[in-house]
Amino acid sequence: MIPRIFIYITLILIAAALLPPAITAYMRTSKKPQPRIHFIQDMDNQGKFRTQHENPLFDDNRAMRPPVDGAVMRGEIVDSEHLTSGTLNGTWATSFPSQITVNREFLQRGRERFDIYCQSCHGLAGYGDGIVDQVARDLLVNSRLGKGTSWVPPRNLHELTIHQQVVGEIFNTISVGKNNMPALESQITVEDRWAIVAWVRALQRSQNAELTDIPESDRDNLETVNLIPSNNEEEEADEE
Amino acid sequence: MNRQHYVFPKWSNMLLPTLIAVSTVVPLYVVLLAAYGFSPKATDVGYQPEQPIPFSHAVHAGQLGMDCRYCHNTVEVAAKAAIPPTQTCMNCHEKIKKDSDQLQLLHETYQRGESIPWVRVHDLPDYVYFHHAAHISRGVGCVSCHGRVDQMEVVYQHEPLSMAWCLNCHRNPEPHLRPLGEITNLAYDPMVELTADERHQLRKLHSIDPSQDCSTCHR
Ligand code: HEC
Ligand code: HEC
Ligand code: HEC
Ligand code: HEC
Ligand code: HEC
Ligand code: HEC
Repeated sequence: MIPRIFIYITLILIAAALLPPAITAYMRTSKKPQPRIHFIQDMDNQGKFRTQHENPLFDDNRAMRPPVDGAVMRGEIVDSEHLTSGTLNGTWATSFPSQITVNREFLQRGRERFDIYCQSCHGLAGYGDGIVDQVARDLLVNSRLGKGTSWVPPRNLHELTIHQQVVGEIFNTISVGKNNMPALESQITVEDRWAIVAWVRALQRSQNAELTDIPESDRDNLETVNLIPSNNEEEEADEE
Repeated sequence: MNRQHYVFPKWSNMLLPTLIAVSTVVPLYVVLLAAYGFSPKATDVGYQPEQPIPFSHAVHAGQLGMDCRYCHNTVEVAAKAAIPPTQTCMNCHEKIKKDSDQLQLLHETYQRGESIPWVRVHDLPDYVYFHHAAHISRGVGCVSCHGRVDQMEVVYQHEPLSMAWCLNCHRNPEPHLRPLGEITNLAYDPMVELTADERHQLRKLHSIDPSQDCSTCHR
């Protein structure tokens, strides 16, 4: 017979051999807060500073130094008041700046940017009913979950007062904010802000379209559409 | 005298077959263990550091439906996808839940003008050059490289980010191509929504030919 001791050693070895695969399986399936394991470090971490890395030499730990007050970035246009601040000789500009051509592509761009930056508060169609607004209203009435929420609802962009604003004023609202509307200057480029203004205009027009806005060839189609179907349904229901 | 003592016991006959078995199984074991255990899929994937503020993508990008570019607004034009400055959070949190314990650090750092010490999740070695805009502008969506971030309470690394992984896609990018409008739509799956032919058309449209030259990623 094989001496007991050999059998025990074999069993222990087999058991021990199962441990690394078990650890591997765990490593491959779990999420772990421990730093990644890099066995061979090579030059993974070099003594240089990359975007948004830390530099302990500075008080605020930023490797990227904030620009000195008043510094002007390369490419930052300063010579066109119309383009960068939406004003002309101290009053709101009533037209788009000459550097910009408003065409279909530009409107599409505006639509995309509106959906990224404004939609969450103002809603897709601009009625001031975005998801964040809806959530914030709930938080407002529920003081336990609200944790100090105070909320001024975003404006309905189809209100008459905003209809009557000229493009320069809307551009300014996006750039530097207004009352409770945050400034979005740092997030959106100048051109994109104008594109959004164009899309806001398009949205406003779409909700107040007149018959003359529709190409003649399509007007017949429109008039056959029943505009108040809900009333008819009610009447039918009453008759029954 | 008992001569039995000087003869190999009978079980010693099993030594040779055992040795052969062991010498085939052990290398196999070692190779498999190294392949699976030391692969970036085990050492790197799933890295989920604890963040200083319990910021949830599942709430902001999922529930609130915010577009990735609202916060990571440089991703389409720059190499880096920039973690947003505190100001971006303050757009809403100036008012929303402003007394929440979870947001205390946000308000403190904002008042002091400091950065929030977010812990980096994805981190390529410093000798690798990566460029977000090059991918985004060609129709490679966030989900191909970051997974379903909009369902993550805490962000973790979903892909190995190894050289083999980069090259795999550079050799055959077509399964990952989508229309530019769906870049940040993480639920969109080009393999389901598009036919192979449509994906091929997309590739031609943007004349995509990802480079495999060493100098593309090591410069
Ligand atoms: C964080 C939520 C939020 C976002 C994002 C947001 N807004 Fe607003 N907006 C508001 C609030 C709140 C008001 C109401 C301000 C007030 O009356 O105090 C407002 C008001 C406005 C007004 C009316 C200003 C006036 O003259 O009274 C315009 C125009 C406007 N927003 C456009 C936009 C556009 C365009 C975008 C996208 C670039 C945008 N907003 C993004 C919250 C938001
Ligand atoms: C409300 C702002 C906001 C939105 C919207 C947002 N993020 Fe983030 N994201 C952050 C912040 C803040 C961090 C840093 C903290 C962290 O890692 O959780 C971050 C971190 C990340 C990281 C990890 C970065 C690292 O350190 O490697 C990835 C990847 C990411 N976001 C992808 C996305 C994607 C994809 C979307 C769109 C579905 C998105 N984010 C939407 C704010 C946002
Ligand atoms: C567009 C508005 C908006 C922006 C921008 C935003 N948040 Fe929020 N955030 C919300 C809303 C709304 C909630 C509440 C969600 C709920 O309770 O359902 C919330 C909840 C939170 C919570 C949970 C608070 C609690 O007590 O439950 C944290 C933490 C948080 N946000 C962090 C951040 C950080 C960090 C940023 C900046 C990267 C940020 N948020 C940017 C709208 C926003
Ligand atoms: C082709 C793959 C790929 C795609 C597509 C991609 N990323 Fe990344 N992302 C990476 C890699 C790789 C890193 C790590 C970069 C580094 O360490 O230098 C990263 C890093 C990040 C970071 C951390 C900050 C930084 O830039 O290092 C954020 C935030 C991020 N990505 C967000 C996004 C968002 C949002 C999208 C979609 C619009 C996106 N990524 C699309 C591969 C990708
Ligand atoms: C999901 C697919 C995919 C993954 C994963 C991927 N790439 Fe790419 N990459 C592309 C495509 C598509 C292009 C665009 C090629 C073109 O324009 O012809 C590209 C382009 C690039 C470029 C720009 C090339 C140039 O000529 O300017 C660099 C740099 C790059 N990738 C680096 C990386 C690195 C580093 C990784 C791994 C961390 C990576 N990529 C992972 C698909 C991918
Ligand atoms: C598509 C991008 C890409 C291309 C092309 C590429 N590499 Fe890499 N390479 C990477 C990435 C990403 C890493 C880092 C992998 C990691 O973190 O383990 C890397 C790592 C390396 C390493 C270090 C490996 C280690 O773990 O020690 C070497 C050596 C290397 N590459 C050589 C090359 C050579 C030679 C070529 C040309 C044949 C090449 N690479 C082309 C992306 C690329």
